[in-house]
Amino acid sequence: MTYKIAKTQAVYYYLAILIIIALGIIFYYNSKKVITSGNHVTHTYAVMDKNQELLLDVMSFETACRGYLLTGNPSFITSYRKSLAQVEQNIVILLNLTKDNPNQYKRVEELQHLITNRIKISEKLIEAKSKEPQNSKEQYLFLQLSTAKTEAIRESVKAINAEEFMLLKVRKSENTFSSDINKIVLFSLFAGVFLLLLFIYFVFRNHTIINEASKAHSYAMQLASKYSLSLIEASRDPLFTISPEGIITDANQASVQVTEVPREKLIGSHFTTYFTESEKAKEGYEEVFSKGFVSDYPLTIKDGILTQVLFNGSVYKDDNNTVIGAVVVARDITEQKRIEDELIKAKQIAEEAAIKAEKATNVAVEAVKSKQQFLSNMSHEIRTPMNAIIGFTKVVLKTELTAKQKEYLMAIKMSGDAMIVLINDILDLAKVDAGRMSFEKTPFKLNLSIAAMLHLFETKVQEKNLALLTEYDERIPEVLVGDPVRLHQIILNLISNSVKFTNKGSITLAVKLLKEDDKKASIKFSVIDTGIGIKKSKMSSIFDNFQQATSSTSRLFGGTGLGLAIVKQLVEAQDGTITVESTIDVGSTFSFVLDFSKTSAQAVVEPEMVPLNTDIKDTKILVVEDMELNQLLMKTLLDDFGFECEIAANGKLAVEKLQTTSYDIILMDLQMPEMNGFEATTYIRETLKLSVPIIALTADVTTVDVARCKEVGMNDYISKPVDERLLYSKLIGLIKKPILIIEHEVGTPTATDTIRYVDMSYLNKLTQSNTKLIREMITAYLVQTPPLVTTMRKSYNSKDWTLLKSTVHKMIPSFSIVGISDEYTKMAKQVQVYADALEHAPDLEEMIKSLESVCNHSCVELQNELNAMNDEK
Amino acid sequence: MKNKDKLKLFLVDDDIVFLKSLEIQFLQHGDFEIETYVTGELCIAALDHEPDVIILDYHLDGIDKKAMNGIETLDIIKESRSHIPVIMLSSQDKIEVAVSCMLHDAFDYIVKSETSFVRIQKDLATLVKLHKMEKELKWYMDKSSFLSH
Repeated sequence: MTYKIAKTQAVYYYLAILIIIALGIIFYYNSKKVITSGNHVTHTYAVMDKNQELLLDVMSFETACRGYLLTGNPSFITSYRKSLAQVEQNIVILLNLTKDNPNQYKRVEELQHLITNRIKISEKLIEAKSKEPQNSKEQYLFLQLSTAKTEAIRESVKAINAEEFMLLKVRKSENTFSSDINKIVLFSLFAGVFLLLLFIYFVFRNHTIINEASKAHSYAMQLASKYSLSLIEASRDPLFTISPEGIITDANQASVQVTEVPREKLIGSHFTTYFTESEKAKEGYEEVFSKGFVSDYPLTIKDGILTQVLFNGSVYKDDNNTVIGAVVVARDITEQKRIEDELIKAKQIAEEAAIKAEKATNVAVEAVKSKQQFLSNMSHEIRTPMNAIIGFTKVVLKTELTAKQKEYLMAIKMSGDAMIVLINDILDLAKVDAGRMSFEKTPFKLNLSIAAMLHLFETKVQEKNLALLTEYDERIPEVLVGDPVRLHQIILNLISNSVKFTNKGSITLAVKLLKEDDKKASIKFSVIDTGIGIKKSKMSSIFDNFQQATSSTSRLFGGTGLGLAIVKQLVEAQDGTITVESTIDVGSTFSFVLDFSKTSAQAVVEPEMVPLNTDIKDTKILVVEDMELNQLLMKTLLDDFGFECEIAANGKLAVEKLQTTSYDIILMDLQMPEMNGFEATTYIRETLKLSVPIIALTADVTTVDVARCKEVGMNDYISKPVDERLLYSKLIGLIKKPILIIEHEVGTPTATDTIRYVDMSYLNKLTQSNTKLIREMITAYLVQTPPLVTTMRKSYNSKDWTLLKSTVHKMIPSFSIVGISDEYTKMAKQVQVYADALEHAPDLEEMIKSLESVCNHSCVELQNELNAMNDEK
Repeated sequence: MKNKDKLKLFLVDDDIVFLKSLEIQFLQHGDFEIETYVTGELCIAALDHEPDVIILDYHLDGIDKKAMNGIETLDIIKESRSHIPVIMLSSQDKIEVAVSCMLHDAFDYIVKSETSFVRIQKDLATLVKLHKMEKELKWYMDKSSFLSH
């Protein structure tokens, strides 16, 4: 742009100068013309002067001539001669003057001729006078002639003058015109010069501005370039320019550092020499020049540590768009690579950590499980001796004692009770934690259930002189479906908690219906006491395990601190909520809300509406238990509850008792001699056809036992050592529960009408359907049974009762394994009984035959099974 | 008991069907090394295999009258290897049997039934626990006797 401006400027420059020069030339020539025309005028004036002078001279010589002629005086001749010389001189001058004008010159020559003629006449006259002084006539003639001649001269001079005058006129106008032009030109010249000066001034000024601007610009450029240079230098990535030939033309400090080659050497060296794969480097820079750019081209710089770089470049061009080089940046990706590697490593570590964490979690879960297992085992182990301690303490308390003895024994009993409560709580908590706590869904009458439970507290409340109040919402549906036992447990815990912390006033159990729809009823239970209250800061933690409102509380009031934790767990496990409100020294209110399903009341057989106390007192319970110790404990417990209680030492005795007496509930031990619990129950249900509720007493609860209990028709089970409260709840539950809604399948004889003798289901379960193991089992059976059958027959025939007994005895376990009906097991046992008694019963023959038949059949069937399995294989 | 990963069990019963079923249950429900013997004599002969626990049938002479019965076998085991716990099994649900077993130093008496395996398992767990406790007790005793000197 600037360049263009300068160019046009120069053109104007030259043009202006040319114009001025032209004007100068015009002026010069015009001036010359003016001068020349001025000269001409002067010349004309001179010619006219000389003409006039000539005429005067002619006059004066004529006068002199005439004077001489008239007077004859010689002085006239002198003057005549003088004038004549003058004329001649002037005529020469005139001739000279008119040399350049041929017309005038001719006229002047004519004039000269005329004058010469005239002079000749005058000469003749003068001569004539001097010779004949009186010849007047001739003189006159001559005079006449000379006058004519003079007249001619005069005419000629006139003509010359006229000519000159005309010339003068022309020349004067010419001169004026030229000087006019000259004036104009001069003015133009001045104007031109002025304009030129102006132009120069502006150009100069402009130039100064441009100069300043360019100066500023160049300064800025300098700064910018310095800035870019510093940027380039600051770059930690090697940055250099290369020529199309691959020669490094410039490089920054980073390049120097990376390559460890001084800059001077670097510049001018070949680019590819600094990379491990020079071929690849060459391809790289060729790509720059062919494509105009290259991006992220991986190369390795040949330095001490083989820096890995990504190579980026693009060409740069001059004004003519010609590629003159390329700028190349080699980005060091060592760091990037390192970070990448670290990231990968970190990821691996994280994965490992995750796996470890998972393992640790598993271990922790296992640990918690085993802790719970340990807790429940330990509790169980402790409970057994504790029960004996408490039981016998109670027994001793019933004997005659001194006051001191009674006091000590009471202390033992109370401590034992506290310990049992603690252990039961731990067990319950462990169960809830392990998710093993199951909730029943049985219809029950809430108002009766609560009344029965509150009855338990009467003694305690009376001891502390407190009032126990109930507020029962009459709108609550009479029959609800839920778990009354757990509900009891919750309310019991809350009330015993309140009783513990209340020294005067009352404890109120409020039961309110919150809302009700077709299917559900929400009920709020509140236990309100006037006790010591709970500090605000402790409110949030009272439901935690082993927490009491103050750590000193336990010293003062006792308790395990597990009661509320269990309450919370039980409520929440049933999708309920529990809250507490409390004011120090005023009292506390524990409230929980539970949903109960509603049921059609019609389906429920109305229980007797007689008061609970008489109800209990009229309840007859049969305890079937072989261990004397346990018999004693159960009797003590049931007496305490106010039930009537009888003991049977084994199943057989129990069955005998049941044939004569009716009982409301039977508590049945499972492991007993003569007839065990399962057998006795089966007998009661199937032979005696009694539907009296039976609660199993088991030493250790295994799922197998429970399943078997249900199978034989028991209503419930309770684990030994018996938990007082649980037993009470269960007994109450059974008394209140209409028999019709007891859920159990009454065992029906099923095996007798089947054609098959063998049932593979137990074998399948045992071996987890492992055919190899099943084959082994069947083979064992097939090997063992036939000789036993033979021995049985033989011993029977030979009346070897002992052998018969032991043979049959040995048969029994395998019967259940191959799934032979229970009927035959019983039969075999009966055979044993007869054999033991060493007597020949009338139906013994039949039984032996039946056993033979079933054994043989089973062998055939099992052989078939075995063959079938072999075929499959 | 030795410090091994697996418990070595001897199962002794002349009822091979029950023996087999017990063996299967043990193999499926835990990591045990099982050896089975159908007579007390065979079991005693194999005592140098150093079993950790022996599960012994009470009625080993059911058919073969000349065979050693359970109590006799138990006595012989206790004579030479008193430290090996023996769990007695019987199909007889009789107090006398149980008492006689306990008097002869059996660790436990279990009635044969569908649940006997579970009971044996529990016994084994108790045994392990007991063993641990004994070891701990011994350690404390050693320490206290050392300290009192």
